Amino acid sequence: MLERIGTFFAFEFSTNRSPESEEDTEYKLDRDCFLVTKMKLKILQGPCFVFLNDLLFAPLPSVNFICTSIAIVVEILSSMVVLAASIVSKSGKVLLSRQFVDMTRIRVEGLLAAFPKLVGTGKQHTYVETENVRYVYQPIEALYLLLVTNKQSNILEDLETLRLLSKLVTEYSYSLDEEGIGKTAFELIFAFDEVICLGHKENVTVAQVKQYCEMESHEEKLHKLVLQSKINETKDVMKRKASEIDKSKIDKNRSEKGGFMSMGSGRIETSFSELSISSSGSGFGSGSGFGGITTDLDAFSTKPKGRQPSAATAPSKGFGMQLGKSQKTNQFLESLKAEGELIVEDLQPKVGQSRVAATPPTDPITLTAEEKLNVTLKRDGGISNFDVQGTLSLQILNQEDGLIQVQIETGGNPGILFKTHPNMNKELFSNENILGLKDPNRPFPTGPAGDAAGVGLLKWRMQSADESMVPLSINCWPSVSGNETYVSIEYEASAMFDLRNVVISVPLPALREAPNVRQIDGEWRYDPRNSILEWSILLIDNSNRSGSMEFVVPPADSSVFFPISVRFSATSLYSDLKVVNIIPLRGGATPKFSQRTNLSTENYQVV
Amino acid sequence: MEKSCTLLIHFDKGTPAIANEIKEALEGNDIPAKIDAMKKAVMLLLNGETLPQLFITIVRYVLPSEDHTVQKLLLLYLEIIEKTDLKGRILPEMILICQNLRNNLQHPNEYIRGVTLRFLCRLNETEIIEPLVPSVLQNLEHRHPFIRRNAILAVMSIYKLPQGEQLLVDAPEMIEKVLSTEQDPSAKRNAFLMLFNCAHDRAINYLLTHVDRVSEWGELLQMVVLELIRKVCRTNRGEKGKYIKIIISLLNAPSTAVIYECAGTLVSLSSAPTAIRAAANTYCQLLLSQSDNNVKLIVLDRLNELKSSHRDIMVDLIMDVLRALSSPNLDIQRKTLDIVLELVTPRNINEVVLLLKKEVMKSQSGELEKNGEYRQILIQAIHSCAIKFPEVASTVVHLMMDFLGDSNVASAIDVIVFVREIIETNPKLRVSIITRLLDTFYQIRAAWVCSCALWIIGEYCLSPSEVESGIATIKQCLGELPFYSVSEEAEATDASKKTPQSNSITISSRRPAILADDLFSSLAIFFLAAVVTCTLTKLVLRLEEVQPSKVEVNKATTQALLIFVSMLQLGQSPVLPHPIDNDSCDRIVLCIRLLCNTGDEIRKIWLQSCRQSFVKMLSEKQLQETEELKAKAQVSHAQPDDLIDFYHLKSRKGMSQLELEDEVQDDLKRATGEFVKDADDANKLNRILQLTGFSDPVYAEAYVTVHHYDIVLDITVINRTRETLQNLCLELATMGDLKLVERPQNYTLAPESSKQIKANIKVSSTETGVIFGNIVYETSNVLERTVVVLNDIHIDIMDYISPAVCTDTAFRTMWAEFEWENKVAVNTVIKNEKEFLDHIIKSTNMKCLTAPSALDGECGFLAANLYAKSVFGEDALVNVSIEKQADGKLSGYIRIRSKTQGIALSLGDKITLKQKGGS
Repeated sequence: MLERIGTFFAFEFSTNRSPESEEDTEYKLDRDCFLVTKMKLKILQGPCFVFLNDLLFAPLPSVNFICTSIAIVVEILSSMVVLAASIVSKSGKVLLSRQFVDMTRIRVEGLLAAFPKLVGTGKQHTYVETENVRYVYQPIEALYLLLVTNKQSNILEDLETLRLLSKLVTEYSYSLDEEGIGKTAFELIFAFDEVICLGHKENVTVAQVKQYCEMESHEEKLHKLVLQSKINETKDVMKRKASEIDKSKIDKNRSEKGGFMSMGSGRIETSFSELSISSSGSGFGSGSGFGGITTDLDAFSTKPKGRQPSAATAPSKGFGMQLGKSQKTNQFLESLKAEGELIVEDLQPKVGQSRVAATPPTDPITLTAEEKLNVTLKRDGGISNFDVQGTLSLQILNQEDGLIQVQIETGGNPGILFKTHPNMNKELFSNENILGLKDPNRPFPTGPAGDAAGVGLLKWRMQSADESMVPLSINCWPSVSGNETYVSIEYEASAMFDLRNVVISVPLPALREAPNVRQIDGEWRYDPRNSILEWSILLIDNSNRSGSMEFVVPPADSSVFFPISVRFSATSLYSDLKVVNIIPLRGGATPKFSQRTNLSTENYQVV
Repeated sequence: MEKSCTLLIHFDKGTPAIANEIKEALEGNDIPAKIDAMKKAVMLLLNGETLPQLFITIVRYVLPSEDHTVQKLLLLYLEIIEKTDLKGRILPEMILICQNLRNNLQHPNEYIRGVTLRFLCRLNETEIIEPLVPSVLQNLEHRHPFIRRNAILAVMSIYKLPQGEQLLVDAPEMIEKVLSTEQDPSAKRNAFLMLFNCAHDRAINYLLTHVDRVSEWGELLQMVVLELIRKVCRTNRGEKGKYIKIIISLLNAPSTAVIYECAGTLVSLSSAPTAIRAAANTYCQLLLSQSDNNVKLIVLDRLNELKSSHRDIMVDLIMDVLRALSSPNLDIQRKTLDIVLELVTPRNINEVVLLLKKEVMKSQSGELEKNGEYRQILIQAIHSCAIKFPEVASTVVHLMMDFLGDSNVASAIDVIVFVREIIETNPKLRVSIITRLLDTFYQIRAAWVCSCALWIIGEYCLSPSEVESGIATIKQCLGELPFYSVSEEAEATDASKKTPQSNSITISSRRPAILADDLFSSLAIFFLAAVVTCTLTKLVLRLEEVQPSKVEVNKATTQALLIFVSMLQLGQSPVLPHPIDNDSCDRIVLCIRLLCNTGDEIRKIWLQSCRQSFVKMLSEKQLQETEELKAKAQVSHAQPDDLIDFYHLKSRKGMSQLELEDEVQDDLKRATGEFVKDADDANKLNRILQLTGFSDPVYAEAYVTVHHYDIVLDITVINRTRETLQNLCLELATMGDLKLVERPQNYTLAPESSKQIKANIKVSSTETGVIFGNIVYETSNVLERTVVVLNDIHIDIMDYISPAVCTDTAFRTMWAEFEWENKVAVNTVIKNEKEFLDHIIKSTNMKCLTAPSALDGECGFLAANLYAKSVFGEDALVNVSIEKQADGKLSGYIRIRSKTQGIALSLGDKITLKQKGGS
């Protein structure tokens, strides 16, 4: 039980625990957790504070925390499960029962023995509840098929499971009485196993269960064929080699030259070893060389079909459709808020924020201008690489909006070279800054919502060695003093941009505990697994163009703290590219469009 | 920790399979024979045999088999064999199966791989699992979803083992990766489940990154999502705001199971009215859309819970709940009405009653056999509505009175009781009710209803016209006078055959209803006659008061006297199969005397005291109800070990019920029997039984723990000699409905050492059981086995029964039905009736159904009904009837009735043993 609780504690207190004592703590927790729940009241009185302290190695922040920790020290296990699926005769004899949760025999037998007494006659419903369990059953001729579940179990799901099981029982058992069940008990148990896994229902049909239980495997047949052909092949090789040996013997007899001999025998050896692998593999079970062959076969069988991983974060279809519903949901949320519920509308996960897919567009036309920064700064100052790559992409939701041209405006930065897509009218762009297709009758391709990137119209690139172009410079000073290394880092942001979600990751030497952060502008987080200290600043603007952090670690070489990598994003661009207007080629009003600009780091390091 | 049991198969002991036969078949090459032998081996193992010699045979001959069924059976065999020694260390030979398992995990047949992975989920031995881990992980990326599904579960189970985190350090990361690319819904669910159980921050992260797509996920995955949300919100209450949106989006899911779960989750997370309303609406929808009675009943249970916690919200939904009445199932209808009745408010009462009235009408037209019963509960429902809100009584009472002549006697009785109560509590309605009652009086069929109606007429006819029409109606219904004449008697003696006919005519002329009702014997006819007499007497006495004309009064008096006399005459005539009983006869005679000789004292008794005592009864009933309500309200106070809510630290608004959530947690534990109440240590010592004497070579004592379905004996055995006792065996035998679960084992006991032995005994019904036993052992110098006989252990019935409540009617039906009766004569030193009753209640642990007010006072006799239920659902009924004798001693009988002999006998023994009292 405590491993599960342990995960929580490990998560909450990973920074405060020393690794070697972890085991002891958990053991202690394991032994005492039951007491803890039993003595919630007592815990809140003096001495037990100490006890909890021991458990957590951390001073307790507040009384509130004790409450939560006590709440946690309750078995954390998924709670909606089927305990057992059984068949009982009407006279009360247990014919078979398969348990899906750890239970003692006496408990199972007790539950099943109580069942016939609880079943009333003449009722029109088929479940019985006792103090602790619920039986959901179905009479089948002279038998009862029943599921034993806990009382919180989802009745709708259980009934569906029961229906499926009853179909299986009639399918597998030729006569629905004690004898029939007795003869097919094992087949039924195998079938039950396919329907319920660790107490959870599987989504299967009768046909699928039958297929699973028959165990006819195409791959196994294939495997056997391959094996057979290998054996045959080897036999052929053996024959050939034998005849070669014969030949060489004759040759040897003819001419007394030794060089031939050694070469020939070498070949024979290799062919024999091949042979031995194949034949032992066919014997299953005991062959030592078995692993080699199966992996071979795996490779063989995976290649042709290959699993296609699909994009996990593709935005959903049909936005217009959901509009009404979401409005209703909003109403609902509003009313909940009014009643004092705390609703967080923005469901961004805390970790891995930068990886979240861009919110899918809702305007009919969306233009996205993006710039990616690849920057390598030297630790002693100076730039070793500075490269900005930009793209402008267009996304059109509906076919009818496809016939348009895009009027843009660039900031006139001379260092930037623009390149249009080959299908673009180059002259139009260079003369009037209008992006349009070469063939004015062709519409722009319309991308469904799934294709987040849209169609690329324009690319640009900027390289520079000018240090003033760097948006954020980092200065890191490790200095050893006595038994400790003091590291002070400062950043300096140029006034060009307001940077968002800045994360500066400093590698650390392997540490036993979190570094001691003396001073910081912003927040820090220590990732013990990767040994990285993350310094995050939500927003750098005119109020905090420079900032610093200082921390102390045990003595270490200064090179350990490099390369420092930096992530951030901004909404203005180097190119200052702006979409001024959309010109519909067929006349009419200017269609609605939205534009997004995003500057982000791809690889930004201090080495 | 006791071993868990994964499998039970009924095994017919009639055909014992011999280990040798099995061995031979396993060694052979015949596949069907091998399969058969494996099955037998598994069954023998389940039946308690250990078959240690078979293991090597199986390793040698079964492991290499290529047949799939053999391999699957082999896995079952491995699942149930003992894999560790007594100290919990793994048996060395188990290593032999590892290679086979690894081969299976790399088997070309995907199903073999799958079932092997599933087998690993049930395996707890790290030593066996450790070498298999790489193969398990390989399967995570297999092409076939069947394998991936099971591989993920196997990873989860392994990770959850005590040292699982060391075996699979990066399992959560791996599974997270799998989850991001997985397409198969089942595998996806399993992966999410794994994260949920093992690294729930990752699961949350996944959920939040894919929050827009939750509604498109498979049903199975959505269920786990809901569970995760519940769990997260329980541990970290501040975060629930994030998740309510997800729940709301899932409320529109296509799967009803998910919707049901959503509603439950919503209720447990929030107590905001909107959330509760949404949940309640969802339940109501399910209630209507689902045709399955089980679902309806359970959904009604949920609504009932909501009703007690959020009554104000449920009040608005009352009409939706009421729509469930359309189901033809009586249980559902009853449950629905129960919920609705507690939700009626002055605002909705009219609507509710209107619908109930419609339902009553509907129940009349249908042909369903249950309609009568349904009508009865509807009438009861309307009754209680009318009591709560007297203003509706006027709208329903006339409709209800149409059912006075209902062929369903029970509902007719309910109606008349209802009318009786309304006419007292609603004085405004008196006139109209009386008129109506007199009009419909002739329709009444049942004697009981009739006597009740007569009582109402007698009490509530106040004005002269009412009194007169009352007398007239009764007279009219009685038929022509005289009922019986001497001439008829003469004829009767002439032709005996004709007599019963003429007789029946006379009686039927008296009251046609009575013949139809064969439930009541002729005895009841005269009881009715007595009631008629009393009513007429009352009416005449009242007439005297209100009628100024003496002539009219005298006329009525004489007519009444004539009727009385005719009745007596009929009653004493020889033509009736049963002559009039003395009691009724006495009453009629009394009435005659009374009318001949009236007085103020008598008038006061007849005209006022009856009414007063009725009013008193009504008020007492009300008092009892309010008291019950009060008692109910008090029950829900916090227990000492309840979670403490620091509500000063957070807003009360919108807080949900933590208690409810903790219940979910305990639920599974309780269901698997893991939940053990820790007993008081002092009590524990009291329950130790000494089994042998102090001077016996072996001393034994037992501590008996009685659980619901089993008894555990913790027996301490101490070797008191200076010799080593070999093959020491504790043999137990049982009497009654007890069964030993395991076979006894042999132990060796060093000099002066002790041993703890545990024995499990299964109980399947409530009965006093006895456990006998011996301890048998050998010593090195004496060849013979020595036997020490143990004291008997008696299992007390009191551990199995608990006080329960049932209605009086249910008690009577059961009393009539149950065939086992045990009659115990009272024999006690207790002098006071009430004290004796209390003593019996205390010593039998039963609930007294008779109201305390009925037991009040010193009248020298007492009768009470006691009721209890056993954990197996059996009913135990007891009736105590005692009388105080002249010498001050109590005498009488205690009758015990039950469906099974066991309860009647053991409870009887218990009472005989305890009733003496005094000590």
